[in-house]
Amino acid sequence: MQPDRRDISRSDIAVELIGVHKRYRQRQRADSLRGLIGQLRKPEFRIVEALRGIDLSVRRGEIVAYAGPNGAGKSTTIKLLSSLLAPDEGRVRCLGADPVRDRRQYVGRIGAVFGQRTELWWDHPIRASFEWKRVVWDIAPQRYTRALDELTELLDLAELMSTTARELSLGQRMRADLALSLLHEPELVLLDEPTLGLDVLARRRILAFLARVNRDHGTTVIVTSHDMAELEQLAGRIVMIHRGEIAFDGDWSSLRRDVNRHRVLTLETDGARAPAIEGAQHRQSAGNRHEYVFDAGAIGLAVLLDRAACQCEIIDVETHRPPIDEVVADLYERWQRGGTAD
Amino acid sequence: MLGLEWRQWRSTAWLSASAHLGDSRLFVFDYAIRALRVAVLVSIWTMLIGDDPDSSPLPLPALLTYTIVAEAFAHAIHLQTGLANAFWNGSLVNYFLRPAGVVRQFAAESAGHAVFDFMLFSLPLLLVAACLGIDVVPESLESGLLFGLSLLLSLAVGLAIEFIAGAIAMVSEQPIWLIENVRRALSRLLSGAVLPLAILPFGLGDVLEWLPFAATAWAPLAIYTGIEGGTRLIALQLGWAVVLWPLALGLWHWNREKVVAYGG
Amino acid sequence: MADRIPVGTLRSIVQLVRLLGLYARMDVMWIARARSTAVTFYLAEWVLGFGIVASTWLLAERFDGIGPWSRAQVVFLLGYSLLVRGVVDMLFGWNVAHISRRIGRGQLDHMLLQPVPLWVLVLAEGFSPLSGSGLALSGGVVLWLSGEGLGVFTPALFVLNLLASVAIVIGFSYAWASLAFLAPRAAEEINSSTMDLIDQVRAFPLDGLGPGLLGVLLSVVPIGYVAWLPARSLLGLTDSPWLVWLTPLAAIGIVSIGLSIFGRGMRHYRATGSTRYLALGHRR
Repeated sequence: MQPDRRDISRSDIAVELIGVHKRYRQRQRADSLRGLIGQLRKPEFRIVEALRGIDLSVRRGEIVAYAGPNGAGKSTTIKLLSSLLAPDEGRVRCLGADPVRDRRQYVGRIGAVFGQRTELWWDHPIRASFEWKRVVWDIAPQRYTRALDELTELLDLAELMSTTARELSLGQRMRADLALSLLHEPELVLLDEPTLGLDVLARRRILAFLARVNRDHGTTVIVTSHDMAELEQLAGRIVMIHRGEIAFDGDWSSLRRDVNRHRVLTLETDGARAPAIEGAQHRQSAGNRHEYVFDAGAIGLAVLLDRAACQCEIIDVETHRPPIDEVVADLYERWQRGGTAD
Repeated sequence: MLGLEWRQWRSTAWLSASAHLGDSRLFVFDYAIRALRVAVLVSIWTMLIGDDPDSSPLPLPALLTYTIVAEAFAHAIHLQTGLANAFWNGSLVNYFLRPAGVVRQFAAESAGHAVFDFMLFSLPLLLVAACLGIDVVPESLESGLLFGLSLLLSLAVGLAIEFIAGAIAMVSEQPIWLIENVRRALSRLLSGAVLPLAILPFGLGDVLEWLPFAATAWAPLAIYTGIEGGTRLIALQLGWAVVLWPLALGLWHWNREKVVAYGG
Repeated sequence: MADRIPVGTLRSIVQLVRLLGLYARMDVMWIARARSTAVTFYLAEWVLGFGIVASTWLLAERFDGIGPWSRAQVVFLLGYSLLVRGVVDMLFGWNVAHISRRIGRGQLDHMLLQPVPLWVLVLAEGFSPLSGSGLALSGGVVLWLSGEGLGVFTPALFVLNLLASVAIVIGFSYAWASLAFLAPRAAEEINSSTMDLIDQVRAFPLDGLGPGLLGVLLSVVPIGYVAWLPARSLLGLTDSPWLVWLTPLAAIGIVSIGLSIFGRGMRHYRATGSTRYLALGHRR
């Protein structure tokens, strides 16, 4: 028996959120005996606006990075998309379905991985978890064998098949969890911090794998992470959320352009004294190498070089953009101070 | 140094108590369930002995007092610290990373919980029972004082048994909840917390009162209700505390590495 | 729509049967992973079973029966009571009966992410025919030791009452577990309290209770149906033979109420989700 997909449309849009609001009630607790007794009589709550009118649309086959500082609303969005939560206001449509109302059919077509949770069966070998998935998701034998062979090879799981989940390292567990989430060849994959706590090699393997799944199967991927370099490597589009609102939606170069136009300029000169260049801020010097930061939107590189050349002989020139993590850190800092994306 | 230890103890106890109280008012449901259990037991005693007082070696009033006091001091006589939970969820290692004794931390957590529980459930229970005509006052002033001492010894023995059970879980590498279930079942049956040992058939009570479980419930409750004099029971409790504590500490010391691996 | 419901239900039933088979296989694998685990597990179950019934048995020995119950009849009551607990453990293990733990720990998400109706998962995920059978076997042995029963009632009525008692335990648990939707941390262990209460009261003959207390135990806290009333009516200790149908009828009512309250809780869960998460205890 395959999941019933007859009444589910197959439009080009995989995910659509329109004016979605989500609020939570947080219980407040006193730290004195008097306060506690008072709260027994009359509990106090605080309303947290996790999402404030989110509009988001993701096309089929896209890989979208979903980022934002802690508490911005990323996990809430992923839970809404994976049918675990219903919006307070607004509409959520995924793969043409209402995730909550059509839960049974819908979850048969998606894969979800939460980095801090595991779907594997703790005291059973990994193979048993795959077999469990086959029965519960009602995967046809041929399709199951094909997918399992492919995933085993791509994620290098052959040697782990007889190991119990509790004996796996974090990286191995995550690879097995990813394979489990993709065994039924889902159309949409939701990943909430899938590389949390993994080493560089494990991250690289998982990212390469996700890119390949997207390329080979046209799977739509929405992934959250705090590692911006990793997201940039994987996704073509970045959606940034801040205090429950979408603060940026576009490609990475636009993000860099909009958020941080700073460039680093390194000059190698004939002397140890750094020339004072108007329009660029001197950061540090090492021997006859001098590092400056300048705003590429406000002043051109040629002008700066002219100004420097008037003061000394330039032997070599290097410029580079700041790493994406630095760009995003600047952005978060600006948000904390109350500024906007640009 | 003693001042620091006291402050550590007080702070842990307060956090434990406020976490229990501050979360919601649902603990009231738990209290209702406990009250219902007491009501059922009291009714059963009345049914069994009310019509035929000669059938029981203990008079009905003593049995009713025994049942009420057992529930009022349930935290002490069914001592259950957060040890099993810490084992289970892997947070035991955290206890080793704090500058305070591991046993003391668990004891402080339990005490914080127990004190608030006593004020919110046990005192009202004792009051209601008294209003319903059940004698909840100790047999004599001497019984009351000895009960206090016996209760402290009961806590000491109960804590040692709890830590020995934890050590057994480590040594046997079995799930802590399995060992804990067995400990609770044995304790409920053998300690005299539900059925006073003096009422057991086949002379079982005479045997069970020499076991460590009896030192946790039967001893303080028998002293409180005046079923038995205190000296012999307190001596027994002291004996078990002296035997069990070195055993518990030794087991933990020998298995320290395993504790950290198992609990982490 | 109307003609689709039976097809969907039929498909769910087929799915349930497949899942029961799957979980039975997984249970065998789980218990057989080490001989020491299996031995410890069964020993622990038997000690637990003995702990549940011993107090009442000792009382019956001391007082030569309890109220209108002879010693043999008390043993029958204890056997029935253990069997009910055993069947609950066997069908609703791994915190499916203690569902407040799954709710409070945020583990309900794992169930909601499976393309299976929730009721099928409730009936299948806790199925542990081997690891959960310790108390059921003990119950069977105690029933046999009682020497009561044969000829007094029909096996069909016995099974019907047994299943009704099991359903009442589950309905009662789920009704109370719904509190965990409102207060996940505080009510995470509410089912431990309800199960402890059932364990500690189920094995006592409740004949001497006042009408008020008995009313509570046959309505709001329906422990009277878990062993006392069905055992009493099966043994013919009641005035009316029709009382043997009371437990099955009560089961219908209590399960309906439990499901209704739980359904409301689920709607609340859809709105709030779970902010807590603890990985252990829901999967073997």
